[in-house]
Amino acid sequence: MEGDKRFWRAVLLALPLAVFAVFVIWPLASSFYYSFTNWNGFNPDYDYVGLDNFQKIYTDKLFYQAAINTALWMIAAILLPTALGLGLALLIDSSVPGSAAFKSIFYLPICLSAVVVGQIWVWIYQPDWGLLNTVLEAMSGERLRYAWLAKPDTALWSVIVAWSWQQTGLSMVIFLAGLTTIPEDLLEVCEIEGATTAQRIRMVVIPLLTPATVVVIALSVINSLKGFDILYIMTGGGPFNSSDTLAMHMYNESFKKYLMGYGSAISVVLFLIALTIIRVYFRQLRKVDELYG
Amino acid sequence: MADAAVLPPARPPFNPWPAVIFVALIVLALLFLAPTAGVLLSSVKTTREIALGALWSIPAELYLGNYAEVLANPAVHRYLLNTVLVSAPATVASIALGALAGYVFAKLPFRGSNLLFLVIVSGMFFPPQVILIPLFRLFNAMNLIDTLWPLIVIHTAMGIPICTLLMRNFFATVPNALREAAILEGANEWQVLIRVALPLSLPALAVLATLQFTWIWNDFLWPLIFTQSDEKRTIMLGIVNLRGQYSVAWGVQGALSLIASLPTLVVFLFFQRYFIKGMTMGAVKG
Repeated sequence: MEGDKRFWRAVLLALPLAVFAVFVIWPLASSFYYSFTNWNGFNPDYDYVGLDNFQKIYTDKLFYQAAINTALWMIAAILLPTALGLGLALLIDSSVPGSAAFKSIFYLPICLSAVVVGQIWVWIYQPDWGLLNTVLEAMSGERLRYAWLAKPDTALWSVIVAWSWQQTGLSMVIFLAGLTTIPEDLLEVCEIEGATTAQRIRMVVIPLLTPATVVVIALSVINSLKGFDILYIMTGGGPFNSSDTLAMHMYNESFKKYLMGYGSAISVVLFLIALTIIRVYFRQLRKVDELYG
Repeated sequence: MADAAVLPPARPPFNPWPAVIFVALIVLALLFLAPTAGVLLSSVKTTREIALGALWSIPAELYLGNYAEVLANPAVHRYLLNTVLVSAPATVASIALGALAGYVFAKLPFRGSNLLFLVIVSGMFFPPQVILIPLFRLFNAMNLIDTLWPLIVIHTAMGIPICTLLMRNFFATVPNALREAAILEGANEWQVLIRVALPLSLPALAVLATLQFTWIWNDFLWPLIFTQSDEKRTIMLGIVNLRGQYSVAWGVQGALSLIASLPTLVVFLFFQRYFIKGMTMGAVKG
């Protein structure tokens, strides 16, 4: 019987493990290997260059810019989609008529591609006839021709807003799922004891939403590390690299300048950052499980 | 009883909050819909009307020429066909592989299987850039650059984490007694998986099919790296390519975006329940 089990384990796991090992694990390990080389993407040959690529990271101003932008993106990712998603979830959960329709509306952007979302927002930010300038002009009465995506000061934030518009729905549904786990009688007790809505939300609902909050924040941070597609479409990392992220910088160095060795070194750094966040996430999930599960 | 007849029934005090919340949600919903509505509106206007500065207004009349233009473009047909040729097999293959692995993790656990499961699942959290360069070198060496094969294979492999996670969690809810009864009657694990576990897991399969299809259809990075000629472009790259050709034809661009989003929009509208379930399950149980 046990021998049978062992046989079937091997048979059933063979294909998925082989595919995952060859096309995910092995490339990941090779990224470390290539980060010590100067491979240029065309030539099959390359030299081993030791820690040169990592030393270059240390002096690369564009890398710093990209790292700071990625950090800003992460902070904004925690604040914007998380806070907005929580607010929307609380509003929708208050047995408002048409809550299903509201849910769909806020969730809809998730099923659109980064390319389409990017294009929509490029139109919104368009200096001459974009929605944003049109509305601002109507409100202020002045003629505004601000090029949101072409100015180093606003390019990154403009993309982050577009990205948050897409991500908010995801945070909202996770919070809504969390809200359904809060026992009804607990909220009734609050009402009987005379707590105001604000007190109830602050002292009962938000603490009990901790598991959902952990998930939402972790997902937002992890997704912000992946910030690439929508940036590529909206600004390409410009102007003057002012909206570069690490993922974008890695792409530029590898597939524009063909510095695949250096690109690998950046991807190693990206991997280590992701690994740290994922470990914190898993540890928090376990802690939350012990406390609330 | 007599009192009740005399006194008017107690009216609950007026509570303005439901009305305020409803209005707030309506305003927020309109704000959220504005970007999408803009594309929809632009797609039914003539280039002339848009050039006169009316991209964001309600069109004077419904103009369908933009859609006709997009649908008559053979490049668009090719892009759409390529995208189907990638997303259909990759969706099926990733779910199949996830079901195989998920069954073992749920029903045939072994020493170290939890750790292995965790390693596989964490794969869904890493930015794809961390495996980009070695995969480029691999498919280059295999002479498969500018074919659809790398896209099918990579999407299959990258889908294994979420598919394994959801299938394991779903198989775990299938009673062990069912499996044991089937084994006692002489069935092997493969037969249990195909004839007992999978038929009971149709909701999980629906969840994964909607998620995987949407992600693969919408993907941009992998086709950007692995396809070069116009012949092999998928629709999302096609949109970017055609932007030059239709540079001031905003309406055509809008129609193109909507046509490219139509399959995922349809999936979303009809399978929204599964889609949301998948997103929350994948996130919470990770």
